[in-house]
Amino acid sequence: MTAGLGTAPLEQVPHVLDVRKLSKVYGSGETAVHALRDVDLTVRRGEYVAVIGQSGSGKSTLLNMLGCLDAPTSGRYLLEGLDVADLDERQQAVLRNRQIGFIFQAFNLIPRTSALANVELPLVYAGVGRRVRRERAQAALSLVGLQGREDHRPNQLSGGQQQRVAVARALVTTPALLLADEPTGNLDSASTADVLGLFDRLHAAGRTIVLITHDDEVAERAERVVVVSDGRLTEAAPSAAELPPRRPGTARAPR
Amino acid sequence: MSVVEIVRFAVRGLIANRLRSLLTMLGIIIGIAAVILLTALGNGASQYIQGQIAGLGANSITVLPRQPPDTVGTDGRPLTQGDVRALADPQGAPDVASVSPVVSVQDTTVEAGRARTDATIIGSTPSYFPGANVQLGTGRTYTEADVTAGRKVVLLGRTVADELFGIGSDPVGRDVLVRGVPFDVIGTLAPAGQGQGLSNPDENVLAPLTAVQGSLTGFGDLTQIVVQARSTEAQAAAESEINSILDRRHGIDDPDNRDYQVLSARQLADVLDDTLGAFTLLLAAIAAISLVVGGIGITNIMLVSVTERTREIGIRKALGAPPSAILGQFLVESIILSVVGGVLGVAVGYAGTLVPLGDFRPVVLPSAVVAAVGVSAAIGIFFGAYPARRAARLRPIEALRRE
Ligand SMILES: Nc1ncnc2c1ncn2[C@@H]1O[C@H](COP(=O)(O)OP(=O)(O)O)[C@@H](O)[C@H]1O
Ligand SMILES: [Mg+2]
Repeated sequence: MTAGLGTAPLEQVPHVLDVRKLSKVYGSGETAVHALRDVDLTVRRGEYVAVIGQSGSGKSTLLNMLGCLDAPTSGRYLLEGLDVADLDERQQAVLRNRQIGFIFQAFNLIPRTSALANVELPLVYAGVGRRVRRERAQAALSLVGLQGREDHRPNQLSGGQQQRVAVARALVTTPALLLADEPTGNLDSASTADVLGLFDRLHAAGRTIVLITHDDEVAERAERVVVVSDGRLTEAAPSAAELPPRRPGTARAPR
Repeated sequence: MSVVEIVRFAVRGLIANRLRSLLTMLGIIIGIAAVILLTALGNGASQYIQGQIAGLGANSITVLPRQPPDTVGTDGRPLTQGDVRALADPQGAPDVASVSPVVSVQDTTVEAGRARTDATIIGSTPSYFPGANVQLGTGRTYTEADVTAGRKVVLLGRTVADELFGIGSDPVGRDVLVRGVPFDVIGTLAPAGQGQGLSNPDENVLAPLTAVQGSLTGFGDLTQIVVQARSTEAQAAAESEINSILDRRHGIDDPDNRDYQVLSARQLADVLDDTLGAFTLLLAAIAAISLVVGGIGITNIMLVSVTERTREIGIRKALGAPPSAILGQFLVESIILSVVGGVLGVAVGYAGTLVPLGDFRPVVLPSAVVAAVGVSAAIGIFFGAYPARRAARLRPIEALRRE
């Protein structure tokens, strides 16, 4: 394990996530697509942030980089105070494993593998022993209301249930950051309500959540909304008045 | 992440594609079985021929006259009784047990009453029997006294006796005419059967040297000299003693230009052994090619497997699988394929050797088994490494985007 990874005293790191002048260009030359342009964003511990914007505006590109699934073309990304660019591939894998829980629109469960085994998977890569792994995976499955479905395969579960398995899998390592890319995009309204209820409970329990959506109803549940438009990020007026208005990048604590 | 987990993932991956795993293994099974079977065939053939050569008389050495290669037109010196006496000298040739002068005449008419046949008449001394590994069937062999007196007595090979006197008959006491000259039959030779040597002893007629010289060939040169070494171990020493004595007597200074030739079962065995070794190597090379083909099959299937599971690899990476875990999973998959295939291949190859082929049985070489299993494990690593590394190097987002 990397020195300091996950061991930094939390009170000294005010922002779970700190992004400065982040840009992403796909391709090069005439076909280059500037998917993100100089994006600044900070997220504090326990915040529930919704990212909205039109299709093709660059939301997924941003979230993929926050999840260490892709590398930015330029700019800095600090996760728990750690510059991700300094980490090698193996260290990034550890980071994804311990600090990030990623939830996809397409669920992305491993096929032909039971719900329990799917939820256990991050713990396997974390080196957790079999018995503890099982207990924690079962606990995570009960948290999302799927006790009794442990042995079901993805193709034996409804879309809503599959997404709840994916949420359990993202939670099971107790990561600092939960990232969700349109988690309700493939779900009917009842399942959407289930999953959003789950996020509300996680938020109430103090989890940090960044969620992409283009559903206003979904965005309304978040305490803060940022808008991505043509690769640029702007802060929307806060839906609830708990937070003082601020522009991205201005509330950074001195380091 | 422990090795146990990696192996568990690998086994799950293989079981998820049972039929494909089996077919891939088939390539290795066939390759390894071919190695085991073909080397066993070569080895079995070698052992069979060694056995046949032992039947020729392991201690027997034959000296033949020949035209020296470099002196075209000029004959070399013939083999004579003087050569025989020199070879029989225990001082000059301590490793020689006996020396038998031989004259022979091929395609000679032998008659008994109305029956007649063609045979090779071999005239020699009593030491010829042990020297050339000839066994007595019925009656007696001729003696030194018979040779000294030039008595016209013969021993008939089994085929000759059968043709002249009827199958299984015992002609001892009867008369035969050898090219019109009457001889008394004093014995028969034990049937040698097919393949015991290069000529068939069953078609020979044996008589005292002097009798053959007196009535058929005249008292001239010898056809050959048969020498018996003291033991199988002493054979090589006896051969070099023969060479040095005859070189001196025949005035030879270039060993490549001798006017005589020394042949032995040992030399024959050496030549055949070399030939069989080359043959076995050829078989092994053919088998090795099929192994390589099997290995390429593994690469192919592992590449397909990596491509097909790119998305799964992406998910695993997104969940924090380090490159080593992905590498390990695919590498272990291909090693399992090749090692299980290798072990099954050894079993199939071994079962194949239990089928007898004609006169000889294939004999499995333990070293071939060890090598085959080792090679199949190496194939798994070598041919699985490329696809596994490709899988491990995939960027998570690229892997996830792939459909
Ligand atoms: N792998 C890629 N290669 C090239 N262009 C891409 C790639 N991924 C996304 N883009 C482009 O980048 C822009 C932003 O895409 P994306 O982040 O997926 O938008 P959103 O999630 O907001 O719909 C789009 O114009 C899209 O076509
Ligand atoms: Mg998107």
